Amino acid sequence: MRLLRFVARRLLLLVPVLLGVVVVTFLLVRVLPGDPIRTILGPNATEADAAAARARYGLDQPLWRQFVDYLRGLGTGDLGRSIQSGGSVTSELALRVGPTLELVVLALAVALVVATVLGIWSARRAHRIGDHSIRVLALAGNSLPDFWLGLVLILVGYSVLGWFPAPSGRVDPDTHLTPVTGADLLDAVLTGNGPAFGSALGYLALPVATLSIVIVAPLLRSVRASALEVLRSEAYTAAAAHGLPDRLLRRGYLVRAALSRLPALAALVFGFGIGSTVLVEYVFSWQGFGQWALRGLLFRDYPVVQASVLVIAAGYVLVFLVADVVHAMLDPRVRI
Amino acid sequence: MAAPGPGAGGGRRFATGLIVSGSVVLALAVLAAALAPLLSQWGPTEIDPAGTLAPPGGDHLLGTDVNGMDVWSRVLHAARVDLGIVVAAVALAVLFGSALGLVAGYLGGWLDDLLMRLLDIFQAFPMFIMALVVAALLGGGTINLVIVIALVNAPAYARLVRAEARSVRELPFVEASVTSGSGTLAVLWRHVLPNSLTPVRVIAPLNCGWAMLTLAGLSFLGLGVPVPTAEWGAMISLGASDVVAGRWWTSVPPGLFLLASVLGFSLLGEGLQERAATGGPASSGVGR
Amino acid sequence: MTPLLSIENLSVVIHRSDPGDSGRQIAALSNVSLDVNAGEVVGLVGESGGGKSMVARSIVGLLPPGSRATGRVLFAARPGAGEQVDVLTMDRAALAGHRGRGAALCFQNPRGALSPTRTAGRQLTDRLTTHQGMALGRAREAARELFEQVGIRDPGRRLDAYPHELSGGMAQRVMISLATGCAPGLLIADEPTTGLDVTLAREILRQLRHAADTDRRGVLLISHDLASVAEVCDRVVVLYAGAVVETGPAGRVLRTPAHPYTRTLVASVPQVDGHPVVATPGGMPLLARAPTACPFAPRCGHADDTCRTQHPATTEWGAGWQVACYHPQAENLAGNLAGSPATQAGGARTATQAGPAGPRPPAGPAAPVPAAVPRTVLSVEDAHVVYRSRFGGGGHHALRGVSLQVAAGETVGVVGESGCGKSTLARLVLGLVRPAAGRVTLAGHDLSRIRGRRLRRLRIRAQLVFQDPIGSLSPRRTAADAIAEPLRAQGVPAAERAGRVAAALARMGLDESILPRRPHELSGGQAQRVGIARALVGGPDLVVFDEPTSALDVTVQAQILQVVAELTGDESRGRVFISHDLATVRGFCDRVVVLYLGRVVEEGPVAEVFSNPRHPYTRALLSSVPSLGAGFAGPRLELVRDLEEADAATGCPLAARCPLVTDRCRAEPQELVGYGASRAACWRVPEMPELLRGGGAGA
Repeated sequence: MRLLRFVARRLLLLVPVLLGVVVVTFLLVRVLPGDPIRTILGPNATEADAAAARARYGLDQPLWRQFVDYLRGLGTGDLGRSIQSGGSVTSELALRVGPTLELVVLALAVALVVATVLGIWSARRAHRIGDHSIRVLALAGNSLPDFWLGLVLILVGYSVLGWFPAPSGRVDPDTHLTPVTGADLLDAVLTGNGPAFGSALGYLALPVATLSIVIVAPLLRSVRASALEVLRSEAYTAAAAHGLPDRLLRRGYLVRAALSRLPALAALVFGFGIGSTVLVEYVFSWQGFGQWALRGLLFRDYPVVQASVLVIAAGYVLVFLVADVVHAMLDPRVRI
Repeated sequence: MAAPGPGAGGGRRFATGLIVSGSVVLALAVLAAALAPLLSQWGPTEIDPAGTLAPPGGDHLLGTDVNGMDVWSRVLHAARVDLGIVVAAVALAVLFGSALGLVAGYLGGWLDDLLMRLLDIFQAFPMFIMALVVAALLGGGTINLVIVIALVNAPAYARLVRAEARSVRELPFVEASVTSGSGTLAVLWRHVLPNSLTPVRVIAPLNCGWAMLTLAGLSFLGLGVPVPTAEWGAMISLGASDVVAGRWWTSVPPGLFLLASVLGFSLLGEGLQERAATGGPASSGVGR
Repeated sequence: MTPLLSIENLSVVIHRSDPGDSGRQIAALSNVSLDVNAGEVVGLVGESGGGKSMVARSIVGLLPPGSRATGRVLFAARPGAGEQVDVLTMDRAALAGHRGRGAALCFQNPRGALSPTRTAGRQLTDRLTTHQGMALGRAREAARELFEQVGIRDPGRRLDAYPHELSGGMAQRVMISLATGCAPGLLIADEPTTGLDVTLAREILRQLRHAADTDRRGVLLISHDLASVAEVCDRVVVLYAGAVVETGPAGRVLRTPAHPYTRTLVASVPQVDGHPVVATPGGMPLLARAPTACPFAPRCGHADDTCRTQHPATTEWGAGWQVACYHPQAENLAGNLAGSPATQAGGARTATQAGPAGPRPPAGPAAPVPAAVPRTVLSVEDAHVVYRSRFGGGGHHALRGVSLQVAAGETVGVVGESGCGKSTLARLVLGLVRPAAGRVTLAGHDLSRIRGRRLRRLRIRAQLVFQDPIGSLSPRRTAADAIAEPLRAQGVPAAERAGRVAAALARMGLDESILPRRPHELSGGQAQRVGIARALVGGPDLVVFDEPTSALDVTVQAQILQVVAELTGDESRGRVFISHDLATVRGFCDRVVVLYLGRVVEEGPVAEVFSNPRHPYTRALLSSVPSLGAGFAGPRLELVRDLEEADAATGCPLAARCPLVTDRCRAEPQELVGYGASRAACWRVPEMPELLRGGGAGA
């Protein structure tokens, strides 16, 4: 009950933040230099052509009018028409979100598992050689430019070794995968398409590896630090001094306490991952949200920019909400 | 024994190791930037009429790129651009962010509320996305990049220092200063500020590394420095298409340099963090 | 019979391996020997740094990293059976069996020692299933019984509580149940009563005695509270700088100590009967290696060249009483020992009685009232303070109508249990919190009306001495900076500042070498002197001492109390001394104010309040103070519940805990009414002598 109230309150708080985001982006894209009409029409278009195009997208209206229309559309889930493609932004968006989420969620899941296992392992051997090597390795991973790491993985995994498919597309078209959610791996499972599952996995391997390597370090550092703090805490010492067996100590007194700070960081890292996908998708020609938003941004495709900014902001805030709920489940001291 | 073996001593040594190795790497990067013209016989934007995409060896230590420019020379000269922009941007972010956070955190009230709401909106975006949007809207160029990177990093400092100032504010010595009759400015300057900056010192180097990755990422997408300028991200971008064809020398060297510099910052930052964690009065437990 | 635990010549050396001071080592324990038998409570006393916790840790094989132990820690797995095992040579498996089941440590800070992410009940059943082989369901049943045994009300509900939901006293009880839940042969309690109120502390100590008497456990009680040790323990071991200086029957050793250090320790403790503390200068050294001379010699009045060159061996002083000293002292400590004939002969300078208190005791040492009416420096009138809770709604009512007057030259003691509003009162007087209602007048100005620069000016008229001496100094500023701060704020020119800082410093008995040091380079005593110097340097009208000694060790505490007592002669300013410990205010205050849940329940001249308390709360507080001397002499009274469980709704705030409660108490709020020299907020005061003689009151 309290949980529901907490979630409801946080969702309500989301409204002013998103409204702020909408207003700021709406104004920013229009005020700052750059004209979407010129970019689609090309240099040879006449003034009349441009005016006609403007009218078609409602850009000849006064600013407040455009804003009210936009808000009205938002209310019904209509995010406008892309100036570049002329298609509905809402349906384009629906197509693009799946592949990107698939990438980020998988990468985050891999990173979380690795960070938890290695972080606790590392803390239990604090300041020995294994601990130090793991930390330096994680640090190196964190210092890798993601886009470059992607290129190197392609160079090695595809160009040299040929183990992985070429960096274009997300699943072998010959497997005839029926799209459901847009996330190919999930779709393969939903439609029971075995070959598609294998193929999607192959395509996913390198980009997911790229992302995981880049994001694992902060998670690992946090788990290790928390675990070390628990191990050195009076509470853990007390449990150990009372002769509780190792397994009980680890399960009952270490893991949960050590993970309680992870959710908030994982949410932050999720955002970092979203940022990284823009680059990683670019490198792997992954037809995802990042690519789409980037192109919209570069061509000043107002509706696309506004929609993607809104989606990112809402998604990010929601992820933090989930993180807070998980945190409260892990740590009884947290009141929500 | 719950606390593992050699105790804090190993941590201190490890921290020192990290700090030293990070500093060495950074010193090398600075050296490369300073001595770039001496270390290469080609200019960073000089085109070798003899050929494009020449493999390493011969006239060109690391070959040439698709434009026929010397990769080695460009990689060295890029250090100037990358280090310069990043250090300037982070310094700016620290300055503005800390000042804002300090005042908001200590004074609290509506000012604090306003700042926090602004930061909420700002931080409703992953930082790289924020940088991307602002850079795309603002346009490229060195100065703009400094502004963009400073802008996206400043909120973190504001938050950090604010949190610190809020907790320092509650400590007895601040109360002691207030009861001594000191004015707000004196309390802020003499007591709160020096005791609130500790985390900034640790975070700033780590942040430099991350800022460098942001800069390179923006350049990689074509939103960074103008085209012929030598910059690691832009160079990797230029060489990206060569990779599928198996030509490694146009994109791997700039990536390695970028990695090394970022790693230098990370090692330094991690070392400082480790030292802060293991520092203070060494281990506990003597009598009681 | 073989003792349960016998420590033989235990020495522990800790090597510190930081690069900064490599090779630095500390001799934490040197040749410590002690025994604990089953069914016996042994006290381990001494100041911090003396090695008490190190002894506890070595018994459970939990020495800190980098330490090396020599000697033997022999533990009888089955007492009486004769076979003893050395804990120091145990392997992992043996140690795992020994910890908990053999010896269980009861940690000092129960809040920190309970795992925050596991319910109290689970933590206890973990112990029960591990050490007593119970199944989970049976363990839960047993856990409930154990909780009940240690005095936890509503144990069924507490089983599912997380540690942060428990009050301090409750947490300490849970900690004890965890330790006893291991069914240990030896129970080690590390400062189990630190930070607890007197009433609660007594209850906890009773639990420990119970464990020895009923369950035949051996109990090692580590404590700095000598009076409690004297009361609860069979034998006592006194540690100084890692070595045993005296050991013997607890009551006799602590009442007629032979070793000069034990004597110093005992003389440093303030007593409710008004005996003045005797401070001994200096502090305990941190030794790098086992001492070759008597470690106490530099501070000892009896020391000669032998003491300074040779380490004294342990010699028999009485039956089961041993002293490591060349000059053990036989005569009684002056005035400290009630019931001992030498006491009175020893010439207690105070007029305070040691025998049963008459209704009209002679005035205390600091009672004289000047003939002229002194200037009032502080006046608090019916002040209310409410701390608003962060998210609206309710709030904590910290002060509920407190009035207080302080005249120049006067020292007013404010006492009460934690949470009664003492610190809020200090903050109110200094203008750090604003009253929701009522007035605070400082040096003739209404503090609650003014703001900004004028408030700052006025603030200088009142100064605060903090509880945490080191924390009240800015870590990055020198002692000189700290002391000069009020002068700087007043705009005193730098040249003049130095002179005044030096003067304030001299008054505190500190020399100028301390000026360039930063807080972490100061000892607690030095830091507190710097804090007092800072408070005095600007010449304030009022100095508020907020528990200035509670964070300090006993002998240092005595030094600071002496400094404070010397200040009470100053007729130009008023002083407020806040303490949870009644004995500390007894020595030098003129008047005392007793706070309970944000209200004044009694006030009056110190001698009157201490010898003839009118309010049941005051009487109960006095009754529960453990004392090495006579203690509180009048009829005693005991409160029925912990403070945390009481609430102040309507009527008398004490109604929930008072043994003399009637329906009228629950319904009517109580006003302060004058009775003789003091005033109390209890309508039953006139019939009190009757009530105390009759039933209803605890003995």
